[in-house]
Parts: sequence; structure tokens; C-alpha cells
Amino acid sequence: MTAYVDGTAVPLDAAAAEAARLLEGARLPLVAGLQTDVAGTRAAILLAEKLRGAYDHAASDALLRDVGVLRQAGRMVTTANDVRLRADLILLVGPRLTALWPDLAERLALGASPRLSADKAARKIFWLGGETGAAAAIGATEISVGANQLPLAVAGLRAAVAGRKSRLGGALAKSLAELAETLKAAHFGAAVWSAESLDELTIEALSGLVLDLNQKTRFTNLAFGPAQNGVGVVQTSGWMTGFPVRTGFGRGYPEHDIWRFDANRLVDTGEADAALWISAYGAAAPNWRRKVPFIALAAPGTTFPYPPKVQIEVGTPGRDHDAIEWAREVASFTATSAAAASDAPRVDAVIGLISEHLKGN
Amino acid sequence: MLIRLAGGHVVDPANGRDGVGDIWIRDSRIIEPPQGETPDEVFDLSGKIVMAGAIDIHSHIAGGNVNTARLLLPENHRAHVARPAETPLSTAGWSTFETGCRYAAMGFTTVIEPAVPTHTALHSHLELADIPILDKGILTVVGEDDFLLNLLREGGNRTAIADYLASALAQTKGLGIKSINPGGSVAFADNARTYDLDDMVPFYGVTSRQITEALQQGVMDIGIAHPLHLHTNNLGIGGNVETALRTLQAANGKPLHLAHLQFYAYGKEGKRGFSSAAAQLADAVNKTPNVTIDVGSVMFRQTVTISCDVIRQFASIGTAKPRKSMIYDGEVNGAGVVPYLYKAESYYNAVQWAAGLELFLLITNPAQVFFTTDHPNGAPYTTYPDLFALIMSRDLRNKVIADLPKEAIEQTTLPSIAREYTFSEIATMTRVAPAKLLGLKDRGHLKAGALADIAVYDDDPADRARAFRHAHLVFKDGDLVVRDGKITHYRTGRALTVQPTYDSNIDRRLSRYYDEAYGLSRDLFKVPEQAIGVDHAFEEVACQG
Repeated sequence: MTAYVDGTAVPLDAAAAEAARLLEGARLPLVAGLQTDVAGTRAAILLAEKLRGAYDHAASDALLRDVGVLRQAGRMVTTANDVRLRADLILLVGPRLTALWPDLAERLALGASPRLSADKAARKIFWLGGETGAAAAIGATEISVGANQLPLAVAGLRAAVAGRKSRLGGALAKSLAELAETLKAAHFGAAVWSAESLDELTIEALSGLVLDLNQKTRFTNLAFGPAQNGVGVVQTSGWMTGFPVRTGFGRGYPEHDIWRFDANRLVDTGEADAALWISAYGAAAPNWRRKVPFIALAAPGTTFPYPPKVQIEVGTPGRDHDAIEWAREVASFTATSAAAASDAPRVDAVIGLISEHLKGN
Repeated sequence: MLIRLAGGHVVDPANGRDGVGDIWIRDSRIIEPPQGETPDEVFDLSGKIVMAGAIDIHSHIAGGNVNTARLLLPENHRAHVARPAETPLSTAGWSTFETGCRYAAMGFTTVIEPAVPTHTALHSHLELADIPILDKGILTVVGEDDFLLNLLREGGNRTAIADYLASALAQTKGLGIKSINPGGSVAFADNARTYDLDDMVPFYGVTSRQITEALQQGVMDIGIAHPLHLHTNNLGIGGNVETALRTLQAANGKPLHLAHLQFYAYGKEGKRGFSSAAAQLADAVNKTPNVTIDVGSVMFRQTVTISCDVIRQFASIGTAKPRKSMIYDGEVNGAGVVPYLYKAESYYNAVQWAAGLELFLLITNPAQVFFTTDHPNGAPYTTYPDLFALIMSRDLRNKVIADLPKEAIEQTTLPSIAREYTFSEIATMTRVAPAKLLGLKDRGHLKAGALADIAVYDDDPADRARAFRHAHLVFKDGDLVVRDGKITHYRTGRALTVQPTYDSNIDRRLSRYYDEAYGLSRDLFKVPEQAIGVDHAFEEVACQG
């Protein structure tokens, strides 16, 4: 366990006191990174409220792309387990899916027939817009599309399913037309994607495509989020404040604004004048362009672009201590026991200590 | 700590009290008036109504689907005026914190979340733990899971089904068993768009009725207090009273709880083929004493429907307002989140509003009908005070009726009903009967030994809603948590659970099934005692034996 103020090792309590002083003296204190388990998230959001600050997550761009389309257009979704048991057709959409979820093919049992499907035939598997060769590696049929053509291709596929014309031509149009017929013939199909590798328009077109397919047959989405409890942070934020991340308490009640409370913007414009950076899962540092005095609750070995005012090394959830985290395997929260229990402090405990040092407490 | 509540009008129908008297509290319990002791605190309650804390048996307040609704509808959050500045997140609209504050301010001290699928119980319990003040419980949803349906296909071995249910309760830390359009999620996955009581579940060769009967028997066999809590087929469709009547019969004289009956109280009369059949249905309920029901009343305002009845929810997406919905498949249960606006000028919504009130007023035994709006499906729980006022006043009902479409009201019997609920009937419906239904022996009444969960209201005939919205005082476990409708401080509530004994052979079978089907340990889906992170997160309720 190690804590530093201005690079000098100090007792944990002294570091917490200095952190409290820094945060309490700020006009707009920011909680950022937020890469932690449920207990750490709860503590961080409660601290942000107490300070009348704002909070954001390191993976907000992807998390909020997903939520953003959901709250504009709605969606049909399911779990990896449901796809594994039931889907007779799987359509992967977008690049990097097996890099973002290395166990994806195994988790969905892509090579096996769906256990709960009527005809027990082998699954039909397509990958639209994956990297060259990625589809073959998991036994899928590759439908190759250039990265900047993917939104058009998904829109074209939706048009083909609905029997409408699109501007696409050539080989791609032909293969999409064939794919459309195959999708319509599925009993229970699933589009598998991640907001980490798709833009909003593509996600919205996909959501619409799946809805359209449900006029005649069954089809759904398996959308998976970033690892390391990113989805769990959005969920926890949802029940605590009603909103996802990028929420602030400046007026005494939670307000959500994806531009106003973007952590990078708040730091880079100088609006935030102190920050608490939380990164308990790995050596992730902020990439702020402007210098802001900050406290880092981070895994040991993190290299920062400039030194934090206060640094406290914390344990990794699920390794150093038991944790509740979002598990994409089950599409919900699970309890993880410490794989190698240690005395490294937990994020929630450190925030608790900081809170005790707040004068307003 | 010794407290005397002096001179209030004590309404405690469980113990035959309905008059002026005292209640004494020592620490967390109600006690007999002690001899020769001076109370530490005395509250003069002359002119006030004193009841046990209210218990809500069916309100969707926590879990994945509720949270999806929050994320889907950021525009539904109104910033509220701060209540006590010192209670964390008390200003967050529609949050867990807000839920605890608003319920407590209305004198509710125990609330049951009635729809928790077996694979997401930890999420529900995490949210419940963040609802301050209240004690909570969950009903565990079963009936769609491949393992159970296989048991039924193989002949429905009664012992194995009972063991399965007990194991599901242990896994999820539940208080009771719920089934929702049984078999409907499986049928929807197979592309069914309607699903009735005697329809066959695709592949499994059993009907919805057979699942219901097996679960009803299984719940009796494990000896828990709460009977099977059933959301039956064909919710929300004109003419569906016929389904409700068949479901009442399908109970076969055994205990059954039928949820949000208002949504099944529809006939096919009138030009639009949609009328209230609530009078007919209430009559049938009156003749079926083995069945309890809750109403699921509709009130006119914006809300969002949240239900595991995925067939119904999918069918509703065309009427969503605002026009965006979330439909969820899922390996053990589907669900749907569909926003909806109930309008006083809508013919259909006016019939629904009236049908709910007719059920309240025409079911004669207040211990058989439970007070719900199926929050948030018929209306948010924050409309409860207005609903109490409506069932207590014919004049008030007539005022509302005057502004509703005449042709709608003509399709109901509401204007002819004179009944007005008394405080004693309110206490039976919202205190005594829920405690009995859930097996909570030390709640719902004010006898010595009971938990000191107590609500004190102004007796204001001119504005009943105000009195019910802002209780004068509320005690939770003997601790004063509400004064003049304002929260004084938070305390941590508990989740109530039952733990019937069972043959653990079923756990070994289930573990093998999870390994084979999911390639995952079943332990991943369990709610560990320590996971919630607070002491005494759970409280076990005794089985009936």
C-alpha cells in the first residue's frame, strides 16, 4: 500500500486529508475515469454529490453512443446466453468484435447447433464489416465492407429487408440482397455488435433493421459494452441519479448533459479546477491536454502525463478484493471473489476516508 | 428509547381497535403500556389517524428493467425541490433514493418488487439496498426456464418442482414465486404473437394452464406464506375478462394471487368493442375466496409500462408515447419497457380508470383486494394519495367522472356505486391483509410485539390526498423517519426472504444443466449474503411449516 503527496510517500490518512482539501477547495471538482466496481462507483457518485461536482467515465464515448441511440429510438436486445441457446442465425456487425471480446466465439458456442432451436441445424453465421480474415477465424461468412462504408451497408441491408431500393450497387448490393433473404428466413436471429466499434447512425440503422425483421420473424440484438464494469457504472449511475455518466450536481440536484459534463472538456477548458481520477483495473491514465491538480486512485505502476498532487495505489476489483461487477457473460451483475486477496485499499474505502476529511462533513 | 403516541385515533383492524387510544414503543417494537415508567418522548396525536406502516405487495421499484426505463426516458426525470439537504441524493428524480423517500413520506414501510427473473436477482438486490428506510422483498419469476419446462414435459414430478422452486428462492433471496403469462416468453421466442391459457408452449407439450397449476402446487408444497403470484394471459385486450374468469376457475379452489386485475376487466361492449367488465369480474372474485387480487389502477398521466410479459409489451410498441421502447428477450424471461400516456380524454383510458375503481368498490372483502397501480404500469406510486381519496369519496369520483368521455363512463357501473372506504377498510387492505398474504406476522398491526412501523396521518376529509401524501409522522423500527411529510434521516432497510428446506439433489442437477447449457457455473447467478455490502441486508421470514 502506497500513498504520495507531491511524489513523497505519506501515510494513507495524510494523503486522504490532502485529497479532501484539494477537492473541497475547488469550484468545480470532477470525478473522472471511474474505472471501479459497484462499491467504488457508489462511493464516487456520493462524493461527487457532496462536493457538488460532476462525474464521467473513461469509456463514456462508447457507453453513451449506446445509451444515446437507445433513448432516441428504443431497441430489441437479448443476452449472450440466449443467443447461445437459441439463435439459428448470427450476424456480427462491425470491426474488432473478437478483439473487444476475445471469448466471444466460445461464449456464443458459435460452432455448436443452438440447443433450443427447433431444427437443430448448424447455425448460419455472417460477419458484416469485420477485419479481413476475422470471419474465417470463427467460421463465419465474411461480407467485406470498407470501414467508412459500413453505415451505408447496414442502411442498405435494412432497405433490402424492407423491399426498398438503396443507392448501393455492385457486388455489395448483391450480397446484401442475399443476406436480407437469409435474415428473413431465420427463426431466431441475433445481430451481435459493440458500440465501441460502431457509430450512432449504424447503431440506429441496426436497431431499425431488427425491428423490421420482427414484423415477420424473430430477431434481436446482442450489444456488448466495454469490459471492466463500464456498463455496471452506467447502471449504478442510473439507479442512483436516474441518469448515466456525465452528470453533475452543481445546482444541488443531478443534471445530465453529455457535452457539459464531458470530463476531458471540463479539464481542457479549465472549467474543472480539481479532479479525482479513478482507475482500479489497470494502468490507465487520463489524456488531459491542460494541467489540473488531481488525485489519482489508480493501480500501481500507472504512468501519468504529469504528476498527480495526491496518488493512492488501490487494489484491483476481483483480484485484490471481492467485488460486484457487470459481467457481459450473463448481461447482469455478478459477485467475484478475490483471486489473490491483498491489503491493497479498495476505492470505496479510500473515498470513505477522503469524505471523512471533508470539512463540511 | 420509550415513546408514547398519545391520544390518536388508532385504526388497527387486526386487533379490533378503531378509536382514541395510546400506542407505546420501546426501541424497535410496540409494547403494552408500561407501569410506572416515564416515556423519553411523547407525541400528542389528538385528531390524528394512527395506523401500522403500509405494505405494498406489487410495485416495480428495482432491477434491470426498471433501470432500463430510467435510461430510456431521461425526460421523465423532473428535478424535485430538495427535501432534507443532508440526505444524499434525495433530490434525484426517479432514483432508488427518491423511491425510499417518497414511499416513506406516504407512510409505507415495506414494498415488494414483484418481478425478478432468476438470472438478474443480484442487480435487483443492489438497487433495493440503495432504497433507504423501507424494508423490501422480491418475487422470483419462474415459468419460462428450459430446465423447469423440461421437468414439466417429463411428467411434472411434484417433488422435483417443489425443490426447484425452493432452490430458486435460495438462489435469488426471494420472498415468493411469481409467474408471468406462463410460457409466453418461450412462445414469443418461437414467434407467437398471442398466447392464451390453454395454448401449448412450443416444444414442451405443456400449456400455460398446466404450468400455472404445477407452480401453484409447488408453492404450496414448499410451505411459504405467499401463494403463487400470477400475471395471467391476455393482459390489456378487449374481451379479456373471459381469460380472467377462466383463470379464477383454474385456481381449483387453491390459494392464488392474481396480479393487477384491472388490466383483465375488459368486455367487448360498445361501438369500440371495449367496455368495463369489472362488475362481472368483482362478482366472480367475491365467489372465489381462495383467490386474492390486486387492482393495478390506472390514473391519468405520463408513465412507462415495465413488464416481463414480453408478448404483451411487443404488441404495445405501436402505442408507445414517446415512441421508443425496449424489448428484451433473454434466456429465462423476456421483458419490455414501453412508455405510455394515460389521457382523461381517451375513451379507452377512461374505461380503464373506472374499471380499477369498480374493482376496489365492488369486491366486498377488503382483505381480498390489494391496493396497487402496478407501479408504474397503471400509474406511478406517487398517485396513491389521490387513489385513496377516490375510493374514500363518491363526491370526488363524480367530480372526475364529469370531465371524462360520457360514452366511456356508460360502459361502466362506476357512477352507480355509493361505497366509500373507511379508514378501517383502508388499514385492512394496505396493512393487515398484505402482512398476512406475505407471512409477515409482526407487521401490518399495532399489537404489543409488533415491529414499530407506524404511520400517523392528519384526518382531513376536505383533502384526503394531502394527508396521505405527507404523513404527519412515520416510524420505521421505532425510529422517527418522517415528520410533517419530510424525511428526517435515512436508515438502511432489509430485504425479506424465505428459505424453505429442500432436497439439494436439485442443486446438483441444476449445476450440471448450467455447465452443459451455458458453459457457466450456476454460482454466477446466486445472490451471496455478503454481496450487498451492508450488515443485516436480509431478514428471514418463517415458513408456514
